[in-house]
Amino acid sequence: MVEHSTVYPVHIFKTLSVLLLLVFLATLQQVYAEEKSEPQGVMIKDPGSDLWRQVRQRNVAISGVSQVKSVDANVLINPEADRWTRFRVGVLVKYASIILAGVALLLLVFYVIKGKMKVEHGLSGKMVHRFSDYERILHWTLAIIFLFLAITGLILLLGRTLLIPLFGHEFFSLLASSSKEGHNLFGPIFFASLVMMLIQFVKRNIYEKGDLTWLLKGGGIIGSSHVSGGFFNMGEKSWYWLVIIFGLVISISGFVLVTPSLGQGRIIMELSHVVHVIAAVVLIAVSFGHMYMGSIGTEGTPEGMRTGYVDISWAESHHDRWAKECHDKDLVISAEEYQRIMGGTVQANRSSDLAEENK
Amino acid sequence: MARMKFYCDAERCIECNACVTACKNEHEIPWGVNRRRVVTIKDGEQGERSLSVACMHCSDAPCAVVCPVDCFYTTEDGVVLHDKDICIGCGYCFYACPFGAPQFPENAAFSSRGKMDKCTFCAGGPEEDHSSDENKKYGRNRLSEGKLPLCAEMCSTKALLAGDANVLSDIYRKRVINRGASAMDWGVNFNKAKLGS
Repeated sequence: MVEHSTVYPVHIFKTLSVLLLLVFLATLQQVYAEEKSEPQGVMIKDPGSDLWRQVRQRNVAISGVSQVKSVDANVLINPEADRWTRFRVGVLVKYASIILAGVALLLLVFYVIKGKMKVEHGLSGKMVHRFSDYERILHWTLAIIFLFLAITGLILLLGRTLLIPLFGHEFFSLLASSSKEGHNLFGPIFFASLVMMLIQFVKRNIYEKGDLTWLLKGGGIIGSSHVSGGFFNMGEKSWYWLVIIFGLVISISGFVLVTPSLGQGRIIMELSHVVHVIAAVVLIAVSFGHMYMGSIGTEGTPEGMRTGYVDISWAESHHDRWAKECHDKDLVISAEEYQRIMGGTVQANRSSDLAEENK
Repeated sequence: MARMKFYCDAERCIECNACVTACKNEHEIPWGVNRRRVVTIKDGEQGERSLSVACMHCSDAPCAVVCPVDCFYTTEDGVVLHDKDICIGCGYCFYACPFGAPQFPENAAFSSRGKMDKCTFCAGGPEEDHSSDENKKYGRNRLSEGKLPLCAEMCSTKALLAGDANVLSDIYRKRVINRGASAMDWGVNFNKAKLGS
């Protein structure tokens, strides 16, 4: 009995293992047969699935052809269209309004709290030449075109939400149509002025040694410590490069959008539109800051772009390294001299030419 | 009220492009503008299918949502139309439409976009029915005459159907049921199928 009971399980294991082997082989054979042998009867796939996968361009290459030979005519469904639409009406309108209104509000709050940033020991009345006539004309040309493009662009972006309820469809259509035409017309002129701006100011806007300190001290906005700067300080340089780089991005993407006859597809245009508008909204938002600083924000700044001359005290507090240079080269003129120059345009021009030569 | 729809039966379309031609002729559409086009998938390969596509007259049309001047409107019949007097030719509807329905005639200067043109379901525009103004801007208004879009009306294989959505789905359902047993169905392995065994 004892002997028998020890043999019995071994026998079972043997039988079981043989059975398992047989089952395994049978499964293998079945799998092999399914792979290699002919199908039993008729195999029917879902007749629509392949077609609609092609139509929707899901994980397959586009293979459509059409007798209509316009751009993208062979594409039945553009999968990016819906995403672009949701970006344009959902994300863009909402966040562009929030960002622009937010920045404007922030500046207002800043002005109310801090007021106009005064020059440390008051203006001296002694002036120094800062921008030539050409530079000022260039600045204002770019500024006016920029404002025009920003306003017409924002009319197209936010008009349906903000202006149609006010003016109605027909008047707004007229406004939007002229905005579109004007926007398209002045775009290339913006690009041209931008390139001239790049050439004229690039030398003075290359970052140099003291600029990092300026950034670390918050540009003098935070606290009241004196911050060192050259002809342009770190903040002005950054604004310059933002204008140049974002301006170029906006110009190129705008060119893609305005020339449908070049044959670029919809997806490229949708992408260009996204890039164009994001860059534009950022530039407009930062330009609010520039306009604030250049007008009511700081004492003594607007004169530089209006007359070309700035107060030497102003220069000392914002651009000390440049002011020192002016002192060294003896470029500072007295208040009486400045009055005399401003008295007549011809004289002013002659004098600014003199100052230019002295530089 | 009826809810107007197009339906193109991919199992029937033979890519004859007659719908494209009929549309162009009926509405006297300028060169370069195609309200309707036929696209063939897998041309010359097994599983080749053609579909005729135009404006789908969406219930929630993305073109209407994205239009900066809000020039689109939906008629009682569910046809999506637009007002060319309001349209500024910005091209946003072209970016928003998945089907590529909006078309733009080239303006003379710098070949920029003119006012958008698209399939009207042969229903004209906002102008008075059958006025010469309507005809000039949007083409013929067949729907107001009790006629369906010409592209579908003259389709030789009745692949392209136009009309009330419920009627269309009934027709198509019948077709699908009858087609179920057809040996012409794709996915059938003709070489290896042993029919009858």
